[in-house]
Amino acid sequence: MKRRVVLVDDHELFLSGVRAELGDRVEIVGEAGSVADAVPVIREQDPDVVLLDVHLPDGSGDAIINAVAADRPGVRFLALSVSDAPEDVIAVIRAGARGYVTKTISADELSAAVERVASGDAVFSPRLAGFVLDAFRSGEHLGGDAELEELTPREREVLQLIARGYMYKEIAARLSLSAKTVESHVSSVLRKLQLSTRHELTRWATQHRLV
Amino acid sequence: MARPRFAPSAEEGVIAGVCAGIARTLAVDVTLVRLAFTLLGLAAGAGILLYLALWAYGRSRRVVWVALLSLVAGSLFLHALGLSDRAVLGIALVAGGLALVWREGGGFRADAPVSYGGLALAGVGAVLLLHGGDPSASVLAPGAVAGALLLIAGPWLWRLALERDAERAARIRSQERAEVAARVHDSVLQTLALVQRHAQEPRRVAAIARRQERELRGWLYGDRPIGDESASLVAALSAAAADVEELYGVRIELASAGDCPVDDAVGALVLAAREAMTNAAKFAGTDEIDVYVEVDEEAVAVFVRDRGAGFDRAGVPPGRRGLAESIEGRLARAGGRAAVTSAPGAGTEVELRLPRSGS
Repeated sequence: MKRRVVLVDDHELFLSGVRAELGDRVEIVGEAGSVADAVPVIREQDPDVVLLDVHLPDGSGDAIINAVAADRPGVRFLALSVSDAPEDVIAVIRAGARGYVTKTISADELSAAVERVASGDAVFSPRLAGFVLDAFRSGEHLGGDAELEELTPREREVLQLIARGYMYKEIAARLSLSAKTVESHVSSVLRKLQLSTRHELTRWATQHRLV
Repeated sequence: MARPRFAPSAEEGVIAGVCAGIARTLAVDVTLVRLAFTLLGLAAGAGILLYLALWAYGRSRRVVWVALLSLVAGSLFLHALGLSDRAVLGIALVAGGLALVWREGGGFRADAPVSYGGLALAGVGAVLLLHGGDPSASVLAPGAVAGALLLIAGPWLWRLALERDAERAARIRSQERAEVAARVHDSVLQTLALVQRHAQEPRRVAAIARRQERELRGWLYGDRPIGDESASLVAALSAAAADVEELYGVRIELASAGDCPVDDAVGALVLAAREAMTNAAKFAGTDEIDVYVEVDEEAVAVFVRDRGAGFDRAGVPPGRRGLAESIEGRLARAGGRAAVTSAPGAGTEVELRLPRSGS
């Protein structure tokens, strides 16, 4: 069965591009160009995945996640943006997005990412993986749950391989793990990213009034 | 916030509503205003005159009569305080002169004409005050003259300061605009021109667009300043990646954790990494190359990976010096090492590692 997808982006050119590329691989059940338009569309359609632009004319993508997440818990969000700026990535991930890819992603990779997010896994671009390694490297954090504040050596290895451009199944083969285990490591990193009180993460989040 | 214009408020008032009108205009309690007028009224009836003056102003808006009546009221008041006739006349002349200056000068408008009549009147008043021989006036006089000067010169000074601020803001704005224009001209417009000229070559157009995107992003988000490739390892790698993209029409995804300044050894690492990207672009037969750089306290590591053809090291002819010389040799001389992992059909990864010396 095709995944039901809502596209949220205010750039008509980009929307039509995604429509053309993904049209026969997923079912696009709705489109919106602003926060105000997107919220009712997502509520009504209850899609599997929302492809979400980080910057919208009337707010940012995380406002949509915050508005919808509570009463549509089944909806997964995948952020899709031209921006690689760490604060943008962090804002939308901490609001609850299951992943982040940049708009230059190829159609194959994008549909794979939609599938992965729909089945509850996390999607990290190499850049996001590099950024997370960076943010979790230095010792500075604000206390809280110690388990959330550090990456395990295994998680670090997995992230490094993602940053180096390896796909999940390649990582699994290289580390002699099952693909499922690799996915659970990535999901665990995502959880830490969302819940950690690390200084680097909270600073960006606070600047964007998420905490 | 604009205050309501003064007007007597007959319905709220007791006599003619002047006090109520003032209270509304100044947003104060009407009882306070009435109290002030009553006290002034006790001072030889000054309050009563002032009341009449304001009432007349409220009905006809004729400032001259109000000014005259106020002047008389003020004189009566000062007289009641015990000042001599001469001092009172001096103060009245100064006040009247100032009123003329303000009226003809249009208040705070600095470009308005100067009222010489008003200035003369004020001057005569000041002389009368200063040479009045009245002990109480000699206390008031210097203050009165200073106040008068301030009132006359103040608006011009104020206006000058405002103009200077506005000029500076405009200058900053125009500088910023010029900088943006120069940047857009040097990069975006050039790229658009190139895109038009190469419209028949999709790979080249994609590479040009991607390079421009990288530059613009670096400038907008400030993480990779363009034109300053020597600033940091990530900036230098980013520039090298952009060059290779443009030359060979590939896409290079650059990820990083940490960064460091570029010294000779790191410079050699960048050149080796560039060579590895070039090899991947030329021989792997794939459009996508991933580059990851990681900097920590001990070492700098760069990974260049493609998912392309791969090769068998033993099968590389000895005449091809690219890998051995440009990558391994160069890095060894800088104190690092290179490792190549590749197999036919399984892609290639070049790992470049350099211990950090200076730290």
